[in-house]
Amino acid sequence: MASILEIKHVSKFFGGLAANSDVSFDMTQGMIMGLIGPNGAGKTTLFNCITGYYPPSRGEVFFNGKLMNGLEPDKVCKLGMARTWQKVRPLAKMSVLDNVMVGALCRTNSLKTAREMAMEQIGVVRLEHKADFLAGGLPIGERKKLEVARVLATKPQLLLLDEVMGGLNPAESEEIIQLILDIKKRGITQMVIEHDMKAIMRISDRIVVLNSGEKLAEGNPEEIVNNPDVVAAYLGTEH
Amino acid sequence: MRMTFVNTKDQRGSSPVKIVLFLAIVALLFLFPTFVESTYALHIMILIFISIIMGSSWNILGGYTGQYSVGHAAYFGVGAYATMMLMQFKQIPPWYGMWVGMAAALVVALVIGSICFRLRGPYFVLASIAVAEIFRVSALNLKEITNGAEGILATEIPPLKFGETVVTDFLSKVPFYYTGLVGVLVIIAVTWLVQHSKLGYYFQAIREDQDAAHSLGINLNVFKNTALAISAIFTSLAGSLYAVYVGFIDPTTVLALDLSVQIVLICIIGGIGTILGPMIGAVVLVPLSEALRSNIIAEGLISSGLVREDSGLGSFLKENLAHAHVLIYGILVVVVILFMPDGVLGFFKKMAARKGKG
Repeated sequence: MASILEIKHVSKFFGGLAANSDVSFDMTQGMIMGLIGPNGAGKTTLFNCITGYYPPSRGEVFFNGKLMNGLEPDKVCKLGMARTWQKVRPLAKMSVLDNVMVGALCRTNSLKTAREMAMEQIGVVRLEHKADFLAGGLPIGERKKLEVARVLATKPQLLLLDEVMGGLNPAESEEIIQLILDIKKRGITQMVIEHDMKAIMRISDRIVVLNSGEKLAEGNPEEIVNNPDVVAAYLGTEH
Repeated sequence: MRMTFVNTKDQRGSSPVKIVLFLAIVALLFLFPTFVESTYALHIMILIFISIIMGSSWNILGGYTGQYSVGHAAYFGVGAYATMMLMQFKQIPPWYGMWVGMAAALVVALVIGSICFRLRGPYFVLASIAVAEIFRVSALNLKEITNGAEGILATEIPPLKFGETVVTDFLSKVPFYYTGLVGVLVIIAVTWLVQHSKLGYYFQAIREDQDAAHSLGINLNVFKNTALAISAIFTSLAGSLYAVYVGFIDPTTVLALDLSVQIVLICIIGGIGTILGPMIGAVVLVPLSEALRSNIIAEGLISSGLVREDSGLGSFLKENLAHAHVLIYGILVVVVILFMPDGVLGFFKKMAARKGKG
């Protein structure tokens, strides 16, 4: 299958610190790629490099064969690659519907069409009953869902989810897992950063492990669990 | 949480009651000069109209888009100077001059915007102040072009003719009243259109979270500059109107930091990010400042019998209170901001919400 995203030797330096160094991997159409690693491994930095928030210091990012280096986040979104934020960013003084409409307006100039598109996505994350509530007043679980609905409304081909289950209780996490699997059924490729190992093993087709900015391992979930380097990175080595 | 009482339904459709009320007020305002002959009342109304136009213009950038410019005097001054210079030095009537002013303000806005919008938050505020100061100092020193500190005095406004018939000769305040009123209706319409379009959604998204907006496909530069352009054009219109109405401008009145702050205050006092806010702000602030200036408080205290005129306190107040009008004005503004952080409009909405619950 064709690669939708190719990351080639991407490095990102902040001063002398290498937040990412020489990371490479490919993603094929329709897959879910899990991105894991200990805190500070450079997962979010990699997201930022891919979506245009930082230009990579070295290396290239290709999306559908197009070089993405140097493109602004709004261009990246228009091209069909959209991300959510680890720390949710609701547009607090706007209603849930208006939040999602802002996403939908990326693809249309008509408020009416945007409203229809937004209601559809709000239905997907099951927030219909909160459509007229202010986004700033939602509890964390619903904010995470709002984040997903808003980003889905931009009609992405590739969705990058940054810890959408962080801070959620098991029931809420389960809902998000189902949501991610639903999104996969609709043919949207996803890259998911997650700390919940059980969840990531369940949903991912492949997993990339980052450690100290470098790619430590890549493979399907079973390979990753049985990889001694990964176990060492998470639990430390035996003495 | 303070944000919960903001009525989000306002953005979708207006109720028939509101529309009827709005039309009734507009009709009343159009008839106002026919039954009120007091020139002072008309004067106050014209000042209110000018304040509404400049407040609402700022509101599009500050209130909707969240970019707090404290340098809007620059655009006000550009409008005022363009109109007055063309009228006095080139004999071009102001109803052409104001368009030149608006075009000039647009160009200035795009230049300033493309530079200053790289900055966020307090840094943008400081940059906007600095830019306005550049304009003030330039107007002060380019004596050959602007008359410098002497300012420009309008000697005569040419009569507005339609064919051969004279529409108005601008001898009374009435033509200024109607010009101001039409200006207000235009800025209300513009704000309404912005609020009910993609622009309004994008502006508010930028206000709430720039990074989130950016990631949702919003080109920050384009939309911030659009907001500034709309804002600057109509601030310039207010400047033109003010210049021709007052008949005299100099750098310390139309390009001063005071004025920039005044523009912001109109919105903050009224309530930012709403159509009604700047109108309420202007209706509160203009009469307040006029009343303080004209010594109405001292006279009121004396005539109501609270303070005797021949007492020491009475004569002290009568002589000095008017001089302290800026001080009192300042204190009142601080009090309003402390106790009504969402402006007068927000305050009453909160009250209404409480009443509804209790």
